[in-house]
Amino acid sequence: MAAIALTGALVISAAAAPAVTPTRGGTLIVGSGVDAVTLDAPMITDSPSATVAEHMVESLYRLTPEGRIVPMLALGHTVSPDGRTWTVRLRTGVRFHDGTPFDAEAAKFNLDRMLDPATRAAFRFLLCGPATCVTSVTVVDSSTIRLVTNTTFAPLLAHLTHSSMGMQSPTAVRRLGVDYARQPVGTGAFKFKEWVRGDRVVMTRNDDYWGEKAFLDEVQFRVIPDDGARVAALEAGSIHVAVRVPPREIERLKGARDFTVSVDDSLRTIYVGFNVTRPPFNDGRLRRALNHAVNKRAIVNGALYGTARVSDAPIVPAIEGYSKIMTYEWDLERAEALLREAGYTRARPLRAVFHHPSGRYIRDAEIAASIQGLVRRAGIELELRTMEWGAYLALTNRPQPENDVQMYMLGWGTVTGDADYGLYALFHSSQWVPAGSNRSFYKNERVDALLDRGRSTMDQAERNKIYADAMKVIMDDAPWLFLHSESQVTGIRHTAQGVVVHPAERVELFKAWIRR
Amino acid sequence: MWAYIVKRLLLSIPVIFGVAFMVFAMVRIVPGDPARIIAGEAATQEIVEGIRKDMGLDQPLLKQFATFVGNVLRGDFGRSVRSKAPVAGEVAARLPNTIRLATAGLCVAVVVGVSAGIISAIRPYSWMDTVVMLVALAGLSMPVFWSGLMLILIFAVWLGWLPAVGTGGMAHLVLPAVTLGMSTAAIIARMSRSSMLEVLRSDYIRTARAKGLAEAAVVNRHAFRNALIPVITVVGLQMGTLLSGAVLTETVFAWPGIGRLLVEGILSRDYPIVQASVLVVAMAFVMVNLTVDVLYAVVDPRIHYD
Repeated sequence: MAAIALTGALVISAAAAPAVTPTRGGTLIVGSGVDAVTLDAPMITDSPSATVAEHMVESLYRLTPEGRIVPMLALGHTVSPDGRTWTVRLRTGVRFHDGTPFDAEAAKFNLDRMLDPATRAAFRFLLCGPATCVTSVTVVDSSTIRLVTNTTFAPLLAHLTHSSMGMQSPTAVRRLGVDYARQPVGTGAFKFKEWVRGDRVVMTRNDDYWGEKAFLDEVQFRVIPDDGARVAALEAGSIHVAVRVPPREIERLKGARDFTVSVDDSLRTIYVGFNVTRPPFNDGRLRRALNHAVNKRAIVNGALYGTARVSDAPIVPAIEGYSKIMTYEWDLERAEALLREAGYTRARPLRAVFHHPSGRYIRDAEIAASIQGLVRRAGIELELRTMEWGAYLALTNRPQPENDVQMYMLGWGTVTGDADYGLYALFHSSQWVPAGSNRSFYKNERVDALLDRGRSTMDQAERNKIYADAMKVIMDDAPWLFLHSESQVTGIRHTAQGVVVHPAERVELFKAWIRR
Repeated sequence: MWAYIVKRLLLSIPVIFGVAFMVFAMVRIVPGDPARIIAGEAATQEIVEGIRKDMGLDQPLLKQFATFVGNVLRGDFGRSVRSKAPVAGEVAARLPNTIRLATAGLCVAVVVGVSAGIISAIRPYSWMDTVVMLVALAGLSMPVFWSGLMLILIFAVWLGWLPAVGTGGMAHLVLPAVTLGMSTAAIIARMSRSSMLEVLRSDYIRTARAKGLAEAAVVNRHAFRNALIPVITVVGLQMGTLLSGAVLTETVFAWPGIGRLLVEGILSRDYPIVQASVLVVAMAFVMVNLTVDVLYAVVDPRIHYD
């Protein structure tokens, strides 16, 4: 199965690098499982919306599929010696699709809107969180802005790549108000045309684009909720790209002549968190025992048909700050020894309740059932509680005194591509839910100190070392049962060239073209 | 007749109001915080509280209901809490799709169902009857997500005759209409068969035959119309079901109808969307039932509503 994954990845690289000269024109159709929710950048919290929006609305910086941060609407930046003043130079001569010039005023408008608590931007914490905050955005001249932070804020550049920091026409945002969300106006390579809700979003090429213009005349993101129907639509040629192809289909589709199924890494880590403040999992031996009792390779190969990567750190390799830490080897004897040490035997087994969602992550319910089966061999009895997503979030999000969830399955996409976003919100003790996303109520002073230092150290090599140290402690403490990172399985017809599957769970069509 | 229609319409007001209250209460009783769902798993509590306030969810339940009813009476269904789009617009955009699909599905169901039922009834317990009823049983038992996919596989992927999914011209309507109509056709076939069999055994049919009328004339002129009455009831009920229960067909064929809107609304706790969709479906049910009752009188002149 690993071979399939690798083959897929190689094939997509070939497809992404066209061998023949791209031709202009045509309409490319992407079949997606769900519709976009909103196309107003600060309000976006889901990758289907972000995928659509990013074709029209650009940020100051961009995270490339290779994991590099490159200037987009910015030209570059300098940081003051105390690390608290960022001066960002902006691209000149750029206009939004409605003709409004993109300048320092427009950039300030967008960042201020993100910072304004009244906007209710879910990702506001990327600019202003409990510890680090952009305190002011000022216009220096028409093409320069200055951001002042309350303290050294090393991941700020990565945060500026996030889709919620998209630069949108102030004229359109002001004029359309709440209706802006259905007709975005950005500076991107494609312009908004129409959105038939529940059916499709259509955009056309921006012929006045400041950068390299797109080849396609038109792009359509079509909603095809049923997995089987989406694959059938790809097979029938009704769509060019099918996202989220079910992994079980890979084997059947391998011999297809007209399209390729590519398997690409994502930035999303899947884990099972333990509540480390309550029995039984306030005992680290039990958390480690579960880590040893679960054969992650079997889950990846079985439930996921090989389309995932066993975690060797709490974040994935594509993230700046990642380093390989370790994997808890599948070792039933070791698991049983740890259980015995903590006072559990086959006669008096460890029992726990394991909450998990269904349909949120790739085969999440099946994975939960696999875990239940695997740990039983070590004498651990898990009771599964499958929950609907909304109720599940509410349950796991309760504050510590009333939170009695023992084990919960979740995923985390580190969409900024920076380790800070993948670790701080999940492991820093200031981030216990409901304030942050630390649902395990994990608290380790050394980890806190390291994560704080990671935020305030500007030197990337130094930061990487700090994060490696923090992750070592985290892996050893095992507040999670570390599972895997998800892959994106995408079907792409051979006629669609230059389609890029971005690790942040996006399909990018900036350089795509139709082979005739 | 007109007095009856007006009375029925007036009676439907408390029904609709009751439905509105039940839906209003139910979506709120179900666990799950819409503000948290909207904000996503990463947002801070402060943002979640803000969204809750914006949605008016911090108000007492009865006050929320009063506001909701007041707004609806003014024709304002509010805005989707997730997309911020006006709910009336969302429903208005989806409803014609559902009506189109349900009507086409019902046409398939009536034509296929009634013909099959009558063919079976004319030759009861023959091999033809057995085959037709077996097919009907299969049609009834096949889950839509399977039969729909099979139709896509055969007619879109292998033969390439019809589009696989989505909306568009008439060609896009064929596969979802057949899928949706299939199980209803089976119900109608079974109903028509038993109704026709009963009528064919009645005295006036024996009289007609004794007069020496040809069998075709007996069936077409005398039996068919009388056999239709119970069938109309079933068709009426099925129309209601088709309008509200086309969720699976809409999902398989990526058909942006009101069924999918409702399910998406429920999953994301989008209260205004759920409330408006259910209200519209409830109204459709009431109207369809009324139409069926009126149709009885048209088909059978003995029925009066005075």
